Amino acid sequence: MRPVSIFVVITTILIVVTIGIVAPLQAQEKKPVVVGFIHSMSGAMSMYGISSQAGGQIAVEEINAAGGILGRPLKMITRDDKLNPETGLREAKDLLLSEKADFLSGTISSAVALAISNHVKREKKIFIVNISQSSSITEENWHRYIFRIDTNAVPYWGYANALALGRTWKDKKIISLGFDYEMGKNAIRQFKEKYLQIVPEAKIIDEIWAPLNTTDFTAHISKIANSGADAFFLSCIYGGGELAFTKQAYAFGLYDKMHAIQPCAGDVETWHGVKKGEPYPKGALATCRYPFWAIKDPRNQAFVEKHQKKVGFYPSYGAMNQYVIMYALKAAIEKVGAVDTEKIVDALENMTLDTFVGKVPIRAYDHQAMMPTWFGIIDFTPNLPFPHIPKAEVVGEESYHTVEQIKKLRGGK
Amino acid sequence: MTFEAAAGQALSGISVGMVLFLIAVGLSIIFGTLKVLNLAHGSIYMVGGFLCFGFTSALAQVPGAFWWTLILAPVVVALLGGVIEILLLRRIYSQDVLYQYILTFGLILMLGETCKFIWGVGYHTVSAPWPVNGKIPIWGLSFPVYNLFLIGCGIAVFLGLLALMRYTGLGRMIRAVTFNREMANALGINVPRVYTGVFMLGCWLAGLAGTLMPPMSVVALGSDMAVIIECFIIVVIGGLGSLPGAFLGAIILGLLTAFGIYIIPKLAVAFAFLLMIVVLVIRPWGLMGKPE
Repeated sequence: MRPVSIFVVITTILIVVTIGIVAPLQAQEKKPVVVGFIHSMSGAMSMYGISSQAGGQIAVEEINAAGGILGRPLKMITRDDKLNPETGLREAKDLLLSEKADFLSGTISSAVALAISNHVKREKKIFIVNISQSSSITEENWHRYIFRIDTNAVPYWGYANALALGRTWKDKKIISLGFDYEMGKNAIRQFKEKYLQIVPEAKIIDEIWAPLNTTDFTAHISKIANSGADAFFLSCIYGGGELAFTKQAYAFGLYDKMHAIQPCAGDVETWHGVKKGEPYPKGALATCRYPFWAIKDPRNQAFVEKHQKKVGFYPSYGAMNQYVIMYALKAAIEKVGAVDTEKIVDALENMTLDTFVGKVPIRAYDHQAMMPTWFGIIDFTPNLPFPHIPKAEVVGEESYHTVEQIKKLRGGK
Repeated sequence: MTFEAAAGQALSGISVGMVLFLIAVGLSIIFGTLKVLNLAHGSIYMVGGFLCFGFTSALAQVPGAFWWTLILAPVVVALLGGVIEILLLRRIYSQDVLYQYILTFGLILMLGETCKFIWGVGYHTVSAPWPVNGKIPIWGLSFPVYNLFLIGCGIAVFLGLLALMRYTGLGRMIRAVTFNREMANALGINVPRVYTGVFMLGCWLAGLAGTLMPPMSVVALGSDMAVIIECFIIVVIGGLGSLPGAFLGAIILGLLTAFGIYIIPKLAVAFAFLLMIVVLVIRPWGLMGKPE
């Protein structure tokens, strides 16, 4: 056979195959429902962006395989905000203008979330936050088009930990150590507020502050060890700071001496690299936003496997949130029967999401989904290679600000 | 305050101070001779930390991997310092001091991004090596052996440098160049070579501190900025360019931090800055420095 005829044969095959793929799509001729997804896809926080994108994409694939939404395919378009509010806002505008996005979702940086939130308020488009924690997004700066399907800083750093301690050890004398900045100060204030309601005779005997990004906590630890407290509470010490603190506290035997409360030490992100035999928050009470190992729903197991297959690591809570967000939009659109923003806002306001982590109502007043927070004691088990909370108990709406509290924050409105 | 608690706090404070001394001493030596305030000193320390992680992972199968790393990593950092001095710093000694800040600030960004490019944005940890990985009870506090080892390293480095400066030919040359550059040059000392050597020594010290830190802490981006401010406080208190000054400044800062935390924890963050202000008002050239 001469080369030319090989070329002809291959071309013919390609044309036939291409027509075979394209033809059914054209036959469908349905405009997709577009969700613009803005997240940190590069840089220090990109793990969350990549994981959340995978979570959303899993939902898109499942929904489309089951016939889409009202017969229309679902499409998610990802943009990188580079943790910068201006970049995030520009991408949001572009998604709405050139991609004709029907909804926006995403963000880990609260500054980016607020910038996009301000924009959708004017454009009257729905924006659903999937990680950003600042409670002000849905409290002081709330408007009709902003939703959050995720926890926020109030339960995460403060209330959920207070409830967890109140349901377990009920320690009386607590000492706190925090990073010296706004989030750290808020966290201990909120923890105290809630904990003293539950255990009124308790006392925060001292508050210790370390500059942001401190990595040598030796002097803080010896102070804690000699303070006579029953427990110590880490106020917003996370990431590298939490790893360094834990390593030093472990070496000092602090975990054998008193109880430890380490918010977010239950999340997989910080601890997945720590192996058995290495320092870890031994026996600490920790909160967690997605203990995928402890959730029995078979949909959860399938989700974890799909996420692993897609990106090669364990799913973060952002992935779970984005998955839930996509299904929430599907449910709302199907309830309304059209992609009509105003009606979908109303539908979402009164919706209880049926997720694999349980029934999650969206509160109409502040558009905050009552996502649960789990807590438990950190340990190693043969099931997972990193320290985690094997037995996870759950707190829900009681870990959020009440409507009355938010009304006060909004100046009575 | 019981004796045990106070003694335990003092020991912790000395541990904090010695760790900072190991980082700050290189900064002080470089300024003493080159009159360059190297803003990127923290970044060079951070490179040492990343190299510690890199070498210990690469040598994971070799017994005593950390100890080999402790020899290798600071040398690599010193060589990096040599390249920086010859290619970049050398060009700006005669320029306005502002150019030093711009150049060394640029180095912070370059070194930070390079670390990010090679090792990524995650956190890395290195386990404390045998035989300094246990803990021993001191004054009712179980104190990690590694912290005692770091205190020992700090004292050894201090005495070693004092001996180097006082009793060796190299030390005499460094002192001569520091004292009067033109005169030293006229007497036949190769001043540029001494500059390169001192800069490499300073970087070797930063690399040593960077290699010693990961077993008690973490390797992470941003650790450069976390330590550089405390280093500046130490050299300001002790006197810029003074070796005993850096040692004294580090111990004072460590004890002040530790007892600040012990007595008034809410305000502990401010004490270091207050002390710096007091020293600047009373003795602007530092406790052990010489007035210009």
